[in-house]
Amino acid sequence: MERKIGVYLCECGPNISEKVDLDRVKKEISSIDDVAVVEKFKLLCSADGKKYLEEQIKNHNLTHLVIAACSPKEHEITFMEVCENADLNPYLFQLANIREQCAWITADKEEATKKAIRIVKAAVGRVKYHSSLEKKEIESIPDVLVIGGGIAGIEASLQLASSKRKVFLVEKTSELGGLIKNFEKTFGDMKSATELIDNKIQNINTNENIKVLTNCEVGEVIGFFGNFEIKIKTTTGENEPIEFNVGAIVVATGSQLFNPEKTPQFGYSKLDNVFTSLEFEKMNLTKNITLKNGKTPTSVAFIHCVGREEKGYCSGICCLYSLKYASYLKEKLPKVKIINLYSDLCIPGKKDEKFFNEVKSKNVDFIRSSDVEVEKNKNQLKINFKNKEGKKNSILVDMVVLAPAIEPTIDAVKIAEITGISQDKEGFFAEEHEKLNPISTSTEGIYIAGCAQGPKNISETIIQSEAAAGKILSSLIPGKKIKPEVKTSVISESLCIGCKTCLTVCSYGAITFDETKKISVVNEVICRGCGNCVAACPSGAASIKHFKFNQIYQELLEAVK
Amino acid sequence: MVELNSNTDVLVIGAGIAGIEASLMLSKADRNVHLIEKTSYTGGSSIKYEEVFSNMECSTCMVAPIQQEIIQDKNINLLTLTEVESIKGSLGNFNVRIHKKARYVDMDNCIGCNACFDPCPVSINNEFEEGLSKRKAIYVPCAGALPNVPMIDTKNCLRFNGKECSACKEACMFEAIDYSQKDEKTDIKVGSIIVATGFDLMDTKKLQEYGYGKIDDVYTSMEFERLYASNGPTEGKIILKNGKTPKSVAIIHCVGRKEKGYCSSVCCMYSLKFIHYLKSKISNINISELYTDFCIPGKSHQKFYEKMKKNQVNMIRASDIEVKKQNNDINVNFNIETGEKKNILVDMVILTPAIEPRNTSIKLSKTLGISIDEYGFFKENSSDTSSVISSKPGIFIVGCAQGAKNIQDSVSQATAAVGKILSL
Repeated sequence: MERKIGVYLCECGPNISEKVDLDRVKKEISSIDDVAVVEKFKLLCSADGKKYLEEQIKNHNLTHLVIAACSPKEHEITFMEVCENADLNPYLFQLANIREQCAWITADKEEATKKAIRIVKAAVGRVKYHSSLEKKEIESIPDVLVIGGGIAGIEASLQLASSKRKVFLVEKTSELGGLIKNFEKTFGDMKSATELIDNKIQNINTNENIKVLTNCEVGEVIGFFGNFEIKIKTTTGENEPIEFNVGAIVVATGSQLFNPEKTPQFGYSKLDNVFTSLEFEKMNLTKNITLKNGKTPTSVAFIHCVGREEKGYCSGICCLYSLKYASYLKEKLPKVKIINLYSDLCIPGKKDEKFFNEVKSKNVDFIRSSDVEVEKNKNQLKINFKNKEGKKNSILVDMVVLAPAIEPTIDAVKIAEITGISQDKEGFFAEEHEKLNPISTSTEGIYIAGCAQGPKNISETIIQSEAAAGKILSSLIPGKKIKPEVKTSVISESLCIGCKTCLTVCSYGAITFDETKKISVVNEVICRGCGNCVAACPSGAASIKHFKFNQIYQELLEAVK
Repeated sequence: MVELNSNTDVLVIGAGIAGIEASLMLSKADRNVHLIEKTSYTGGSSIKYEEVFSNMECSTCMVAPIQQEIIQDKNINLLTLTEVESIKGSLGNFNVRIHKKARYVDMDNCIGCNACFDPCPVSINNEFEEGLSKRKAIYVPCAGALPNVPMIDTKNCLRFNGKECSACKEACMFEAIDYSQKDEKTDIKVGSIIVATGFDLMDTKKLQEYGYGKIDDVYTSMEFERLYASNGPTEGKIILKNGKTPKSVAIIHCVGRKEKGYCSSVCCMYSLKFIHYLKSKISNINISELYTDFCIPGKSHQKFYEKMKKNQVNMIRASDIEVKKQNNDINVNFNIETGEKKNILVDMVILTPAIEPRNTSIKLSKTLGISIDEYGFFKENSSDTSSVISSKPGIFIVGCAQGAKNIQDSVSQATAAVGKILSL
């Protein structure tokens, strides 16, 4: 088919026209092959300008459109809409930026004009090699799989179910509730944690939109956003796997405590009466804070930051729950002496400092210390440490409670493998963007909530779960089709040498390997068009739609010629 | 049972990062959003930073695409220079009267060429730049502000103060300057409201021991952010008031923490970021961080701390800090942990003032009928486990308006509020 390229130069009032001799640009561009028409216009983005362009496309039967105006950031979408209104495929259009990248930054008019000519020539060179791209639409399933029945998973399920979504809540143990089931109270407000979690569990159990699958774990996840095929197996392995399809997945597999046996200086598992924080919670919940010999302790030391150095991060909640433990003790054993051995006090919330001051005022000691060691001393435990002046010191106590670091659960690795989402160096699931998208993962449709993403308190966990539900409710709408990225990667069947390099660089899990043909295949629904595979492919088999080799080459060629 | 028709439209107050994120998500779910912003620009505090911790991403590069998106999104009605005046009704049926101030520049006609700035004869301190540079009476707060349309500041414009001047109008080729624009009051109907009004820094002049406002080269963290910003008053040059490059800097943490009664949770991290700022521009600069406790929770923050510490920074745990002028230097006096008195001489001091609610938040709480807590932040409903639920059904509170927090946590809350609204 004959190419009829229309080139339109925007004066942008005086912004371009004063710096660039547009008549000269018009003359130069008019002589290029396939250019059917070149015109200048006062302001193309105005209502008049858009109407004018639509008429021009239709009247001249244009096959391609080049607009020389401002940055694509300003008006690329505007002009793509113009194309659509004029029945021209919007990908047969190229915007040449002769304002921000030329008129506004070039002092000399002659120089600016020459530069503008190059920029427009490059756009014309490129647009000749553009092809029509079609927007795809795919059906989606609005149901959701939630992995993990702790507070994070529970909250996400409730939120989704209240919006009438069908939720499959998978929990590997025999009951819902997660770690919070062991807590008597939550820190800060000192409200009942048992009540909090029991109410929520009851709401789950009475909600007909939520199907709870306890003693179950995820065996297989295949597919993509909107259409995941899930296989669930029972942990006992007795029953047949359960299969169903969902549109999105929330991973809320929670956390566990760092094993203090790895830091032998604290004496855990070797010395009697050295407990972890979770063990202390359990003792407190059963109203049984006693020493191994059955006696009540007269002094308890809380050692903060256990494993912090080994893990390389602050878990953010240990200072606060240690304060909570002091409150537990003051209530149950008012005479007990309480000592906190801490490094840096981390109490970042708006109510946390008040809580700290309240607890401290109840005669609770805080000692800033380092190099803490626990040893046996007759019937007691002796804690050696360096004080804030760097001098050696020691105290004798009956009981030691350690605050070990929060780490991802042991099966995070397995979950990552099954779902294809990535983990960061610490083993937590990696978010798509640290600031702007802490809930999404690099796989669209799979979200992370709670301590599986990083250590956090209950309030922050609930927020993340609600946020994950928000992400799903806003992007996966019953009856609404999903529109995947148009400018995706393609791997040529004949050029692919089967080296699998692309599989290692794809951040989105969009490439699979066809074992029979021995070639890589792109799933266009998952691909986001980042171009990693194109850059890495050694045989030139991978290319990206709208950024093909000849498109970029022709653009460059005209720009430097 | 009687069922009332409820309105699915949403009002978002504040076009900072939290308000922007919430609006975009709501739009994605086909909701109509009225996004109102008190100032003339979007992006809130986040566009004042050159880089953000801990990945040191360029902040404007991070925010600009979503600022652009809200301008182009057809479901989002962005109204700048707009505030809530009154509100009636309840969850599902709020009737909100909004007050939109005149910009005196037509948003459709203006193309953002800035030709109107030069001829304006007025020159005053630019608030956006913390007063470190000047602006005209017709202005955008900084290069790259979005929407890229200036406003006329009628307090300082000659024309609006009885003098004859139409310099800007004469310079405009697009007939965009419109002196006849009037403030408008309109009623909008929405089903729910998200309050995302952000934060202010505590006024450090109140804390005389730090010498702020009296001693040159004692800066607040926000001033320092602008000093480092490539689109800021010095185009990113870190210089003293006398134009010289500083040789030594003291960064003082927890300024106003005691007075406020809470830890603002982001100052330690951004103070560490400042080490990077300083060292990247002035490699041999001597830096002292005067802190109380390092509060760096979260999986990625301690690594950043350790990386920054490698820059040979003096980390000093200090209390009872006092900043005095001594000849050409600034003398920072403090007690170390043993109680021993010490001092250092520096030529620049950066203070990290507490994060506090916007000075307008008390008024807004009364207008909206939602509670505030003892610190002045909007108060979450204590009978609910979610921190984004205010005391009034249908009104949600997110970001620093609810309590001091970092960008990640603000975005999480904004996303959560959207989740709540979509499942109402």
